[in-house]
Amino acid sequence: MSLARLNIVDRPLPKGKSEVSLSAFAFLFSELVQYCLANVKSTGELESRLESVGVGVGLRLLELLCQRERASKRDIRLLDALKFVSTTLWKYLFGHQARDLEHSTTAPDEYMINDYDLFVNKYISLPKDYASLNCAAFVAGIVRGALDGAGFPSRVTAHFVPVQGQAKPKTVILVKFDASVMKREERLPS
Amino acid sequence: METMNAEIFTLTYGSMVRQLLVDTEDVEEVNKQLDKMGYNIGVRLIDEFLAKSKINKCVDFRDSAEKLAKVGFKMFLNTTASVTSWNAEGTECSLILEDNPMTDFVELPEGCSRKLRYCNLLCGVIRGALRMVNLNVSCNFVQDVLWDDPVSELRLKLISTGAENYPFKDDD
Amino acid sequence: MPAIYTILIINKSGGLMFDRDFLPGISKTNGNDTLRLASIWHSVNAISTQLSPMPNCLGIELLQADTFDLHCFQALTGIKFLAMTEPQTPDVANLLRYTIYDLYADYALKNPFYEVDQRIKCELFDNHLNYTITGLHRRWGHPV
Repeated sequence: MSLARLNIVDRPLPKGKSEVSLSAFAFLFSELVQYCLANVKSTGELESRLESVGVGVGLRLLELLCQRERASKRDIRLLDALKFVSTTLWKYLFGHQARDLEHSTTAPDEYMINDYDLFVNKYISLPKDYASLNCAAFVAGIVRGALDGAGFPSRVTAHFVPVQGQAKPKTVILVKFDASVMKREERLPS
Repeated sequence: METMNAEIFTLTYGSMVRQLLVDTEDVEEVNKQLDKMGYNIGVRLIDEFLAKSKINKCVDFRDSAEKLAKVGFKMFLNTTASVTSWNAEGTECSLILEDNPMTDFVELPEGCSRKLRYCNLLCGVIRGALRMVNLNVSCNFVQDVLWDDPVSELRLKLISTGAENYPFKDDD
Repeated sequence: MPAIYTILIINKSGGLMFDRDFLPGISKTNGNDTLRLASIWHSVNAISTQLSPMPNCLGIELLQADTFDLHCFQALTGIKFLAMTEPQTPDVANLLRYTIYDLYADYALKNPFYEVDQRIKCELFDNHLNYTITGLHRRWGHPV
């Protein structure tokens, strides 16, 4: 029986070591942004579409990384899920852990993952009419997909935040957990 | 050249195709959209290819096909294609892809098998890129591993070479 | 002292995509004149390939005037990169062919907000180009 005829789940998983050029991704991503641009009326809608595409990636990455990196231990605590995102997932995507993971001082259901120079934005210069756009909405989607898949539904958005003394802003991925997640956390022993 | 994890690329492409299917719902339309998006990418990608590969000029279509298969695929997708089945005039050939990062992990659902041209983006990229160096080609998958064929085979046909524009031609 | 006065980028139909001066105080043509000059250069370059006594001429690579040199690199896609420099400035052909072509491929072509063949209005392209040219000028001893 040829390999092609085997059901996909019977085939061995690729080892995950192969690479493609960053350019290939950059051109693909640029075209994805242009495709989304053509069908929307606002910056918010554009970010929303980019985010949807990211969700599909995040859901699958969660499964892939859990299978590869860890024994079948499932995160049931919010902080553990966030740590998975800001360390394991981040390392897989960007080659390093996220710079910071912060808890908002004003909203108990909000957390921020901070980093600089995400590669999705490497070649993108925003024109004036799109000044509030952040194409890292795609990354926000990946985070949302991974959190959703792990049982932590949330709203995730990407923002540029200027940093004092630095020319380039940092990228903040803002995670706002659903009320259901917060209620569940409260019931669990601390 | 800077590289990245191929899987992120694969998953992003897959998610994008899924999004197109949600937006359009007509598989043939999605095929056309993928080709169009590929064309838009090809039109831009060719300059990076020329800049980084330092290729000066291709002697003939055979040369172009070889460079595309060996240098082009390697540079962007980290894989190579083999060029085979040339016709007598040297205007048609096949590119055989043994390994394609775009199709890792992918299995087409029942409703799409033999209808969705999952990698059609690639055909558009090749068409767009060659168009910018004055080669009009058609490019189609005639075999596809996702359609249960043993390999993926792209059929590349040279239709015409676009003449360069000279202003002030006497016979205008 | 070697110097790069101006960089121009012209698309395959002769339309002006980019122009930028790098040294203060040089006499500047206004916007419309530059557009017209780009178009004329495109035609002159094309005519030169017809005038060539040898086959397969690619176009003008260097124009030497008394007060400046004009270097031109034309890619296979028809886009032209021009640099107006102080006479005898070294390595300009390589600068155009490798460095600036690369910057264009990265910060213009990969930008989804850049429309191919149109005016390049990409902040990252401007910044990187500026960084490259001022770096050269600093090396050549210009006050920066």
